[in-house]
Amino acid sequence: MRNRVREQRIARGLSQADLAASLGVSRQTVISIENGRYLPSLPLAFRIARFFEVSVDKMFDPDDEEAGT
Amino acid sequence: MKISIPARLRVPLAYGLGGAILAAAWLVRGGATWWFAIIVVVSVVPRVFVVYRRGGRDSDEGALAGSRVDERQKEIRVRAQALTGIATMIAAFVGLTIEIAVKGPAWWAFVVIFAVGALGYVFGLQQYGTAAEGAPDDEDAGDGEPFPVGR
Repeated sequence: MRNRVREQRIARGLSQADLAASLGVSRQTVISIENGRYLPSLPLAFRIARFFEVSVDKMFDPDDEEAGT
Repeated sequence: MKISIPARLRVPLAYGLGGAILAAAWLVRGGATWWFAIIVVVSVVPRVFVVYRRGGRDSDEGALAGSRVDERQKEIRVRAQALTGIATMIAAFVGLTIEIAVKGPAWWAFVVIFAVGALGYVFGLQQYGTAAEGAPDDEDAGDGEPFPVGR
């Protein structure tokens, strides 16, 4: 499932550590989500989408299976 | 009164407690091998400090040692614990088989480990599986009557 976490984070000039602190997760988890190695839970997916002020389906694209899980 | 242990100390304290119990067991056993208690203490104390230091690291391992895991790290821990359980069951089964074959005296210990593992698995299924399933609210979902075979 492809996601736009990295794209959105870079667009806002945030580091992975900044985003991790804002979401209340570890930096390693942000890295794993960005690389598509970890699919966040529904509550975390909503937290990410709300943080970037986009909808969940704009942030996570289930139709694109190329980038990871 | 509820005692709150700081998160970073929990895992090192668990190691320390485990070591202390094991050392106490050697002391209670007494005899010529009482000094095994010293070996246990000498091996466990540095390990406690290593785990404490690891708990301060910015890594998955550090988060697990420091008891500050997020959802992904919890999943890693659960998977690792599941693998530990499977490995323990296989080891217990192999040990039991060997003990039976060679008429060894310790077969019952392997049975205990195997039985505790099996009961833990059944309890886990009940706790996280069927108990969490809930009752169906759909009329077509069936009412638990046996399938009418041969009627």
